[in-house]
Amino acid sequence: MSDLVSNLGLGFSIALSLQNLALCFLGCLVGTLIGVLPGVGPIATIAMLLPITFGLDPVGALIMLAGIYYGAQYGGSTTAILVNIPGEATSVITTLDGHQMARQGRAGIALGIAAIGSFCAGTVATMLIAAIGAPLTRLALVFGPAEYFALMVMGLVFAVVLARGSILKAVAMILVGILLATVGTDLETGQERLTFGLAFLTDGIDFSVLAMGLFGIAEILRNLDHTETRDVVRQHIGRLLPGRAELRQAAGPILRGTAIGSTLGILPGNGAVLGPFAAYTVEKRIARDPSRFGRGAIEGVAGPESANNAGAQTSFIPLLTLGIPPNAVMALMVGAMTIHGIVPGPGVMTKNPNLFWGMIASMWLGNLMLLIINLPLVGVWVRLLKVPYRLMFPAILMFCAIGIYSINALPTDVMLIALFGLIGYALIKFGFEPAPLLLGFVLGKLMEEYLRRALTLSRGDAMVFLERPICAGLFAISIIMLVAALTPSLRRSRDDVFSEA
Amino acid sequence: MMSSGMGRRALLGLLLAGAGLAALPPGSGAARAQANFPTRPITLIVPFAAGGSTDVVGRLVAQKMSESLGQQVVVENVVGAGGNVGATRVAKADPDGYTILMGTVATHALNPLILKRKPYDPVADFAPVSLLAVVPNVLVVNPNLPAKTVPELIAMLKAEPGKYNYASSGNATPLHLSGELFKSMAGVQMQHIPYRGSGPALNDVVAGQVPIMFDNLPSSSEFIRAGSLRGVAVTTKERAPSFPDMPTIAEAGLPGYETYTWNALFAPAKTPRPVIEALNAASVAALKDPTVVERMKAFSATVVGSTPEALADHVKAEVAKWTPVVKEAGVQSE
Repeated sequence: MSDLVSNLGLGFSIALSLQNLALCFLGCLVGTLIGVLPGVGPIATIAMLLPITFGLDPVGALIMLAGIYYGAQYGGSTTAILVNIPGEATSVITTLDGHQMARQGRAGIALGIAAIGSFCAGTVATMLIAAIGAPLTRLALVFGPAEYFALMVMGLVFAVVLARGSILKAVAMILVGILLATVGTDLETGQERLTFGLAFLTDGIDFSVLAMGLFGIAEILRNLDHTETRDVVRQHIGRLLPGRAELRQAAGPILRGTAIGSTLGILPGNGAVLGPFAAYTVEKRIARDPSRFGRGAIEGVAGPESANNAGAQTSFIPLLTLGIPPNAVMALMVGAMTIHGIVPGPGVMTKNPNLFWGMIASMWLGNLMLLIINLPLVGVWVRLLKVPYRLMFPAILMFCAIGIYSINALPTDVMLIALFGLIGYALIKFGFEPAPLLLGFVLGKLMEEYLRRALTLSRGDAMVFLERPICAGLFAISIIMLVAALTPSLRRSRDDVFSEA
Repeated sequence: MMSSGMGRRALLGLLLAGAGLAALPPGSGAARAQANFPTRPITLIVPFAAGGSTDVVGRLVAQKMSESLGQQVVVENVVGAGGNVGATRVAKADPDGYTILMGTVATHALNPLILKRKPYDPVADFAPVSLLAVVPNVLVVNPNLPAKTVPELIAMLKAEPGKYNYASSGNATPLHLSGELFKSMAGVQMQHIPYRGSGPALNDVVAGQVPIMFDNLPSSSEFIRAGSLRGVAVTTKERAPSFPDMPTIAEAGLPGYETYTWNALFAPAKTPRPVIEALNAASVAALKDPTVVERMKAFSATVVGSTPEALADHVKAEVAKWTPVVKEAGVQSE
């Protein structure tokens, strides 16, 4: 316990430095902004903003990226309430009661309770990460190349099992991602692989190029597909701070939502997405009068919003403690860490305690900032919602091109984001999710390295993966998960969960 | 043996030459040539990522050169293919002195030897300007390894040939080849484990996954001071000023063993002599600046500041020294 306090103390001493505080604020502000603007999600934004963070120190860079992530989660709820458009998959459910509340002239209360719920959930989730994180550090020392390889395999299996839609498509996407990761000069032999003699491919495909094309550009293309219709609330926003009776009504849902969201967020795969749905279902089920739901019940906003934010934060646990990115945003974080020379995995906590605890402390501060930023800025967000997309996308596109060029000063990178943008658009159209591809790309590179290193160390003896207990255990979990996912009865219930989602 | 002896002589010559040039009074030939060069900003191409040791040396020197040349020296990081992309760009640039390269042992000795399809010739395509600094490499081991000295390590490796592994920052890097040179001179066997940069390799050596590593002294120094790695010996001829108690590999059992990483300025071949002299004078002056000396010392680099001729000899000596090592290590690629 005293360790926890001293660790959090270290974290706050770092997060409270002027620079990090400013970066956290900037991240939250940008995050909320893009969360509010329809058509730009947090994945696209983080992908686009990656180059900017290269000049920062790693702690500052990750604090800002994390701020964008949970800021966007919050901003997404704002649009869900005001415009009936979920800025995010996780705020889909908020539209049900949140937008109804807005129509009844209680938009302010809905926004207020979403902010308060998010803040409470963030506080609990921060404590949870701090408490769970420390015991996991002991793992770091026993993790060699073989264990890391098994861990990466497990991460990919989870990604398959918990991906939305067809398992076959998810596997295909992961394999394409791994294949793309092998492009470039081979680490062990120095031979070029899959470069077709093209000079700009000798160092492989840049992670930010792939991410920006697949998510940023593809997202713009997809948005240009459909004409926009927006149902911006015309009613008065109303007062923001909920009254005592409303707070009492919301307290239970906030606590339950936090518990559900935190638990689901830790799951690798896309656990955080399930949180709000589960929370909403629970609230509706235990409510004395379920018919109020869908007509502006405050519990229907408080529960899912808390779950959403708690999940957003606890999804950092697998990333920070094991180095497994549970979703596409976390995969981007892995990319950002590797670019800054930090090897994701159990070692982060012991080797970069500043980064680990600084980030955790900044999450709590970020939630506090969101509360402060958002309440007075609601009016600004409402006005921003009226900016037509045809004015926004050329600016976003230009920003992407400049951003990607600034990393390596290579014109070929700009062409590659266009190419990956088209590929990403085609994937969306054919019902393939690009997120597993990115996960495969990020983990594939590391996986191959660890596999070959483990085999070189064992002089080619594959038994090394079974002889080491942790490694064998991780493989066993992967196999059980995969079998379970393919078992027909379980498969049906998995599909049910997602069809509800 | 002979080749490393040449390297040593060349380095000594460089140090003397650098001192001689710096002693030239103002108003000599080099200073007069500055009258009409430069008239616009100069681009210094650093062929490695921003933040690395080559980049740090490049930026330190560029800043001071800007002051004495009266024109900005702008650092541009052109990364890729182990430094070849940036080096190729300078080799093909106009020979007017406005595009210059921060070359290293990789771009001007190892890469051209390793690649069968050579993008440039390190001697014919470049006009040497000045050898700026040399950075020692170091042989480090996990502190739990029983062998504490070079002779003990060699005895251990000989007792169980092929059992031990050593890590480096990557295939065909100066550090990998330092390991290969060690193997061939000591007549021992070790399996090379390449990593993507020093950082991940250090992780595994500290954790004990791999017992031995060849690294740049600057990147290992904090681990050695903290006791999480044991510094066995440095690879230079002289001991490193930052670790006076650590022996050199040469004095600890392998006489004649010498490797180090070096940074030097190059212009494209056929750059006019007065321009080379102006660049040389500015870079040598930059290296005499106390803040530059201080920063270089902080990361264990030794400042040189040689004449163009001495750098030309140095490149030839390095190519001669590494040719047999590269052949023996079998690291040639397409």
